[in-house]
Amino acid sequence: MKKPDLFRSILAVAACKAARGVLRLTGRGGTAAPGKAALFFARDILARTSEGMEIIVVTGTNGKTTTCRMLEHAMTKDGSPCLANKSGANLLSGVTAEISCNADWLGRPKTKRAVIECDEGALKQVVPLIHPKVIVVTNLFRDQLDRYGEITHTRDAIRTGIEKVPESILCLNADDSLVSSLAENVPNRVVWYGVNTPLGDQRDPEVSDAKYCIHCGTPYQYHYHTYAHLGDFYCPHCGYHRQAPEVALTKVEEMDATGTRAELSFGGRTHQVTVGLPAVYNLYNALAAAAAGTAFGLEEDGLLASLADVHSSFGRMETFRTGQALTQMILVKNPAGCNQALSYVTGIQQDKVLVLCLNDRTADGHDISWIWDADYEKLAGDPHVVQWYVFGDRAEDMQLRLKYAGADPAKIQLLHNEEEILKMAQASALPVFILPNYTSMLSLRKVFSEATGGSAFWK
Amino acid sequence: MELKICHLYPEALNLYGDRGNILCMKKRLAWRGIDVSVEGCDIGEKKDLTQYDLLFIGGGQDFEQEVLLSDLATGKADAIRAAVEDGKTFLCICGGYQMMGHYYETYDGTRCEFLGAVDLYTVGSKTRMIDNYAYEVDTGRETIQVVGFENHSGKTYLGAGVHPLGKVIAGNGNNGEDGTEGVRYKNVFGTYSHGPLLPKNPKLCDLILETALTRKYGSCELSPLPDAFENLAHDAVLEKIKNHTIA
Ligand SMILES: [Zn+2]
Repeated sequence: MKKPDLFRSILAVAACKAARGVLRLTGRGGTAAPGKAALFFARDILARTSEGMEIIVVTGTNGKTTTCRMLEHAMTKDGSPCLANKSGANLLSGVTAEISCNADWLGRPKTKRAVIECDEGALKQVVPLIHPKVIVVTNLFRDQLDRYGEITHTRDAIRTGIEKVPESILCLNADDSLVSSLAENVPNRVVWYGVNTPLGDQRDPEVSDAKYCIHCGTPYQYHYHTYAHLGDFYCPHCGYHRQAPEVALTKVEEMDATGTRAELSFGGRTHQVTVGLPAVYNLYNALAAAAAGTAFGLEEDGLLASLADVHSSFGRMETFRTGQALTQMILVKNPAGCNQALSYVTGIQQDKVLVLCLNDRTADGHDISWIWDADYEKLAGDPHVVQWYVFGDRAEDMQLRLKYAGADPAKIQLLHNEEEILKMAQASALPVFILPNYTSMLSLRKVFSEATGGSAFWK
Repeated sequence: MELKICHLYPEALNLYGDRGNILCMKKRLAWRGIDVSVEGCDIGEKKDLTQYDLLFIGGGQDFEQEVLLSDLATGKADAIRAAVEDGKTFLCICGGYQMMGHYYETYDGTRCEFLGAVDLYTVGSKTRMIDNYAYEVDTGRETIQVVGFENHSGKTYLGAGVHPLGKVIAGNGNNGEDGTEGVRYKNVFGTYSHGPLLPKNPKLCDLILETALTRKYGSCELSPLPDAFENLAHDAVLEKIKNHTIA
């Protein structure tokens, strides 16, 4: 990749820093503008500002942010600095902003290592510029279909990115038949990770994002399921099947609302680990982090300890002390992730209040059809839900979804702004669970963290 | 009274929240005390389609549509064409709607032969037509405004013997050219509104249910339901569409 000349680099870096400075002065955490400013002067500024850095890139539908937080923890355990695009701005402009603002005025990187979350569609633009040492692909679920068309198109977009960086090590989820197919006919070294033991109730998922063999169209069979379309799959017709993982979860000892104790096997040894976040999908995030950390060359003990340290990240599963009771915010943005969150909430055997927030902005996807695939019936059948609130651009759609899921319409109330939700939570004697999608999470989190003394996300 | 619904290819064609449409029909019948059963008929399953009153076909991924063409060729295609001519009610959405036509011709000229149950055909284009949209449907009693979400790159053109389901108010509809949306032929309702079309359009849902019940029992008038949430959701989207009329 050709690098921009020095003059344009200086302009681009200066523009990036200036734009970020202005945004911070005005108290906004906006992250696209600085990157756009830099891109205006030098389209490929990233090639210069990342030169010589060692970078892990994490992409995939769910778990990008949590996996990145785990890796960042592991990288900084020994006190060395590590860059990360923590705000979740994960398109070319956001990645450009993060890396270019941290370059010196001549465009040379000041920090040697970075963990970068990258949007599935933006991967092909980003990776040829930064040449990551490791690329992690977490999973592929239906998400924001109106942006990418269809799920196999998303897979193909990732594939295009990978083909541009044959030297990068791939860390792939062996349990996901769509992700797994990315390893075919590329020279990259692959580190597989996966779950070697059944999880969940082993029912066939009602809605699967990958029912049919990607090669021949025959329905997959499973030796066991873990969640959604993930598991030990194989095609009875053409023989396409799950790869045995190098980094594997072999046993779950105990799982509760605060985390999971489990056995991980990698590097020829079995390790007892604690993952400091509840739910099955966070086990996959821990596996992804362990695989990427190993591939990157991080020291094992520090890596394992960091899986326990990560508690919540930016609205993914964050707890606020709002009043007499706690408020927990869980980001949901597609049926697979949502069903996991709903299982978690219904598993808590006490009276509670639910707030469901739905926006349909560009970062959310304009198409909100997915809410009809998520298992809100499960939540509507939970006798401990005493009150429902809905909020957001598409609050009316969420309200209607709850009605058809079987919730009592008399117990559903539509709220009109973030402050109303905050007031309700502060007055609530019962724990409050807020399930927002992406942009509704951003605005709610701001209000809740300000009211409860949390820090702004870019700090 | 009882309505028997067959969900064709619930696993192969399930992409866009079609579950919402089945759920909506089931609930709106149950709330009126009408019995309802829903059975799936997937790839490899042999079922007697004449035993059903209403057949539902949803949208799917490009890839998966190819998978089921060979299944259709095992006799289902004939059964579907016969059911259409027999006046059975069909709701066909997006990929399922295209599949009822003669063929789909991709952008590079490859032709995929479809059912030919309804006189229409589809041609692939380079642009994807994606957004909330709205169209007007004459129910025979009144004109209603239907809101939905379209996401297709195929452009569908209707033959001489069939009518569009509605007239586009905002958005693309069948092809973005002639202002038509969907198809109405005998008791077939075809549309590009994918996913949860019916919950937000209770009048369209009831029209489809009444069509099926009338075919079975000679006449049918469904009692009104408290549709406050339905109408709120409908009106909110309609307003959104009208406010930033789609480019
Ligand atoms: Zn196969």
